[in-house]
This record gives sequence, structure tokens and C-alpha cells, in this order.
Amino acid sequence: MTKQIFKHMQILITIALVAAFAAVLGILYSYFGVVQEGQVRSEAKLAAQGVEADGISYLEKLDLDTTRVTLIASDGQVLYDSEADAVTLENHADRPEVKAALADGEGTSIRFSGTLLKSFVYCAERLSDGTVLRVAEPRDTALNIAAGMIPFVLMLIIILMVCMWFAARRVAKHITQPLNQLDLDHPMENNEYEEISPLLKRIYVQQKQIADEKGRLVRIERDFTAVTQHMAEGLILLDEEGRILNMNNKAGKLLNAGDVYIGTDILALERREKFRKVLAGALLEGEHGETVLPYDRLSYQVDVTPVLDGRKVIGTVVLLFDVTERETAEQMRREFTANVSHELKTPLHTISGCAEMLESGGVKPEDQKKFVHLIYTQVQRMITLVQDILYISHLDEGAVDMNCVKIDMCLMTNKVIESLSHEAEKKHVSVSLESDGEVIYYGVARLTESIIFNLVDNAIKYNKEGGAVHVSLHAGAHTVTLKVADNGIGIPEEDQSRIFERFYRGDKSRSREIGGTGLGLAIVKHAAMLQNAQIRLDSRLGEGSTFTVIFPEKAPDEKAPMIV
Amino acid sequence: MRLKFDEELNNLNREMILMGSMCEDAINTAIRALIKGDPDGHKNVSAIVTEISHKEREIEDMCLKLLMQQQPVATDLRTISSALKMVSDLERIGDQSDDIAEIVSMQNISDADDKYEILDLGQAASRMVTGAVDAFVKRDEKAAREVIKEDDTVDDYFDKIKKELAKSIQTDEAGLEKTLDLLMISKYFERIGDHAVNIAQWVIFSVTGVLEGNTK
Repeated sequence: MTKQIFKHMQILITIALVAAFAAVLGILYSYFGVVQEGQVRSEAKLAAQGVEADGISYLEKLDLDTTRVTLIASDGQVLYDSEADAVTLENHADRPEVKAALADGEGTSIRFSGTLLKSFVYCAERLSDGTVLRVAEPRDTALNIAAGMIPFVLMLIIILMVCMWFAARRVAKHITQPLNQLDLDHPMENNEYEEISPLLKRIYVQQKQIADEKGRLVRIERDFTAVTQHMAEGLILLDEEGRILNMNNKAGKLLNAGDVYIGTDILALERREKFRKVLAGALLEGEHGETVLPYDRLSYQVDVTPVLDGRKVIGTVVLLFDVTERETAEQMRREFTANVSHELKTPLHTISGCAEMLESGGVKPEDQKKFVHLIYTQVQRMITLVQDILYISHLDEGAVDMNCVKIDMCLMTNKVIESLSHEAEKKHVSVSLESDGEVIYYGVARLTESIIFNLVDNAIKYNKEGGAVHVSLHAGAHTVTLKVADNGIGIPEEDQSRIFERFYRGDKSRSREIGGTGLGLAIVKHAAMLQNAQIRLDSRLGEGSTFTVIFPEKAPDEKAPMIV
Repeated sequence: MRLKFDEELNNLNREMILMGSMCEDAINTAIRALIKGDPDGHKNVSAIVTEISHKEREIEDMCLKLLMQQQPVATDLRTISSALKMVSDLERIGDQSDDIAEIVSMQNISDADDKYEILDLGQAASRMVTGAVDAFVKRDEKAAREVIKEDDTVDDYFDKIKKELAKSIQTDEAGLEKTLDLLMISKYFERIGDHAVNIAQWVIFSVTGVLEGNTK
């Protein structure tokens, strides 16, 4: 700005100086012309008087410098000339000043002399004897005048330039200072220059727009961050090259990302083959992909969704969510199906084998009964198994009638023991019941019965020949406790945590001869869970096991029907 | 100009990660084949190894182009030159995994019941490869040093296995072929560990600028 101002001032001053110089020169030139003419005239008059008095000798005595004096006869012949020999000079009668002098007594002319290559001022004066005296002086040219002025002019220019330099600086500063001091944060409060107010107004409007937009963006980002950071799922946003644009805490934790992750390649954090495949599918083909990856013993489903702009992939959204439960459930279901088919197949094989032998007639008549009995027991086994499976899937679906009734636990346990007495007798196992008075529990009859039945059934089955099962009932302050203890084979420690799983059998070699479906304890666990009861197991291999079920207190409901 | 260079360095980094993960896949596939005694494992490993070889060429081209066109200095130069060295180690890891899978596919060792030690050795070597690739990805000097330290474990395993196999050569002459195959597999795993150490050393070089140790 200062530079511009300086430059323009310089140009202006130069133009002004040149113009002034030319004008002054023109004026001076004409002024000097008039002055010189008067001078030459008075010189001519003086010389004329001298010649009148002394004759031509006066002229010869004159000491002349640049002035040329010529005496011309009335016929134009040159009588005397101060600078040239009079004889050699041509007739001067036709010179305008001579002509005028002969006619009017005096004459003036300014001419360019071809002989001397100069402009001359001529003044002629007619003498009394009719001759004409002419005085000539070379005229100062404009150039001469100018040359005389140049040093002064140059000095003037230098002085002016110096002054101008300071002036320009001051002026520029003066002009630019308010501009420099403009408060652009509050553009409308500046009123120094009216000329820039449209600009300021525009700035004001745009600033407002920017501030509004910024506020909006900040709000959006805050909302976005609040939502994503508190998500239970991991969320990662990638650009089209697979570099991380953003990700939430959960994803950072799962991928073990440090603090600086924005801009790093996602492959630096997760490079397993399954992930690479789905990521490449999303980035290169624009296809949605999903896979399941383990993180810290948990299974996470990884969904990779490309963000498309038309057909071009401009980024990718990666979502990680915990599917451990689903995976475990699926695995359990798979195992359950496999187990069920296996358990059902075993008796079927026996039945099919026996039937085949009977059909082919390869069985001795006295053995036939044995084979039919085998078929019968296996079918019975299958029936129990199917019943158990149906029951447990009922429990799974929650399809059990959850109506609470008043249960006399002693009565119910006695009934169970009675129904199992046949089995107990076969193994010579004694079953005893001990209770402190009447024990009443408000609960679901069928569930409670199946708990008691399966526990006592197991205690008999997994017992030694001639062993004992002791069932005790106890009504506590807030609980009802059922204890089924036996002095049977016991459960090894490593199996204790797993025996409640479906189809899990502690001693696989013996389970077949003992019978049972492998679902008993699973049913107990389920039935107890549905009634919020706790199960404890205390067992030592070879010494026996004690199962304790603690039923929680339920509000005594006198209206509840009593089951018998 | 610098922007383009950065972009190309990023690409190089990505390709290196990809190649590293392929090597992890290769060794892990080989180990799986060894566990199951699966002869088809060789096919899978070979497919990965072919890909690894392509990747090696690609990365070499990239590095040379970068060296010529950008004439990098300091850290960039170290990154590129160590990448050039690392790819050959990675490629060797892939090749040796392939060799292991090939021996498995010959079925001489399918009935071997003394594979457990070798599996431990294999897992340790695999851990080293993963560690080395991790160290490269994160430019983590500490992780690289841990990889170098773990090589001792691998060497110990190898010595132990070697002694046992030597014993079984004396006692069981019928199973000589099996024993030799097991020895070869162990040696390959041991070599894989050495290559992982090399990679770790190049990582340290690219981070600190100091190349240490005896690069084998």
C-alpha cells in the first residue's frame, strides 16, 4: 500500500515538474524575446546617434562582442559590417527590417541566419542621410535557457523527492493505519472509511454465518461423540484408503489403539485374514461384509459397510458388536442336537439289532424272551429320554405353568421316594427322610417335584450296592432347604462344575449300565433357576455326594390351593 | 510433492502390513496342518506363499521407485531401505512355512505322537513372527527387542527336540524317516525364528537408525 502510494506520488510529482518546467520555459522564452528586442532597439538607436555625430568612424571604434552592426546605403549596398568585409556582402535592400526602416524610419525582424546558423534579432534605424544602421544580436534559444535552468531543476527534483519520500510515508501510514487497526471481529464498529463499509458489512454477515455454522457443527459433533462414545458397540470410520477417521472408545479398547490413531491405517490395528477380506471387499468392490472375530475370549461380529458416493467408495463404517452369547447359545444348540441324536440312536441300534435277529429266526426259543425284554427296556429308555427332552425344552421355552401353590414338602418327598422304591430295592439302597415338623413351601408344584425326583433318582442310581440315601427337609426363617445326601460313588472334582450341563456324564464308561438320560441335573438346574432357588454341591469321590437346594421364601399365600 | 511422497510411504506401509499378515497366515496354516496331519494344508500354504512372492516383487518395485524418484534422506531412507531388507526375510518365512506343510503332506509323520514339543516350538516361532510384524506396524522398539529375546526360547526348544530325536534314531530304526522329517520341521521353525529376529532388528534400525546384532 505504502509502495503504491509512493509510486503514484512519484509519477504525479514528475509529471507536475515537467509540466511546470515546460510552462516556465515557454513563458521565459517569449519574455526574453521581448526584452532582447527592446535592448537591441535601444542599442540601434544609440549607435545611430553615434554614427550621425561621428560618421562611419564611430562604428569602427566600437568594441563589439556578439553584437553585429551593419551600415547599409539607401540602395541596399552594405557600407560597413562589423563582422564581415562589406564588399563581399550582397545587397541588403530586400531584408524586411531594412525595408521597414527605409519606409518608416525603423524596422525589426527576427530571422534565422543561413550563414551563421543562428536566430538573430535585427533592428534597423534610418539615419538622416538615408542610410540604414542595423544592429543584430543572436537570439537565445529555448535550449540555452533550459540548459541554464537544468542544475536548479535537478536540485529541485532531488529535494522534492526527498520531501516526497517522507511525505509519502506519512501519508501512506496515515491512510493505512485505520485499515491496519480495523477490528475485524466487530466489523460494524469501524467507521473510519465510508468506502469500505460494504466490505465490512459483508465480512460481518459472513462472520455471522461462519459462527452459526461452526456452532451447528460443534453441536453435531458433540451429539455424535456422545452417542458413539457411550455405545456398547465398537464403531470405526475409515476413509477410502482404509485410514482411521474416527473411532469410539469401545473400538479403541478392542483394537488396543493408543491415543494417536487418527490417520493410521486400520490394518496396523487389525490385520487378521478374515478382517482383511471383508475390508478389501468393502473398499474395492463396495460390498457389505461381515465376519466374526475373537477379542479377549469374546466373539465380536464385525460389520464392514462401505459408504458410497454414486458408485465410488468414499469410506467405510466398521461396527463391532459382542455376539459371544449368541455364539455360545448356537454352540450349545449344536451340541444339544448332536447329543440328542446320539442318545436316541444308541437304543435304536439295540432295538433294530434284536428285531433283526428275531425276524431272521436266528434266536433260540428260550432266548426270545430275553431279546423281547431288551427291546422293551430300550424302548422304555427312549420314552424317558424323549419325555425328558420334551420337558427340558418346555423349561427352555418358559412354557411351564408358573402358578404357585402351597406345597407340603414332606408329603411330596414321600411320594417321590415311594415311586422310586422299586429302583431302590433293586440296588438295595435304603432311602430315609428326615424333617423338622411340617415344611410348607409356596412354589410351582411340577418344578419342585422334578427337582426332588431327579435328585433322589440320581442318589439311588449313582450309589453303591447297599448304600444309603438320606433326604432332609428344613424350614428356615426365610428359606426352605432340601438336602439329598448319599454315600455313593461321588463326583470327581473336575466334573463337578460340568455335571449340570445337558448330556454331561461324569463317568462315561459306567453311565450306560446305570441308565438315565444325562438330562436329570440339567432339569434340576433349570427348575431351580425358574424358582430362584440355589443349588449347592458337596461331593467327594468314593465317599458320596450331597446336593442342597435352598428355596427362597415366598409370601405365604393362604389362598393358594393345597396340592395333595 | 511431499504430499505425494507421504502417500506413497503410506502405501508402502500398508503393503508391508499385508505381506506381514500373509506370512502369519502362512505359518499358522502350516501349524494347523501339522496339528491335524492334514495333507491338504500344503495346497493352502502354497497359495499364500505365491501371493507373498508377488507382494515381495511389488514392494521391491515400490521401494526402488521411491529411492530413485524421491531420493529420500534420514528416517524416510531408513524406512524404505529396511522395508527392502525385511521383505526378503518375510518371503523366507513364507517359503519355510511352505516347506513345513510339504513335509506334513508326505504323511510320514501323521502317526507321530511326539509332536507336542514341535508344536510348542512352532507356536513360539509363530508368536515371534506376529511380534515382529506387530513391532513393525507400531514402530515399537520395545516389542522388537522382546522378539529378539524370544529367539532364545525357540533355540532352547530346538536343542531339546534335536536331542530327543537323536535318541529316537538310536532306539527306533524303523521310524528313521519320520524322525528326520520331524527334525527338518523343527529346523524350519528355528529358521523362521531367526528371520523374525532379522525383521525385529530392521525395525529397530528404522526407528533408531542403529543397526545392531549379527544379522544372520
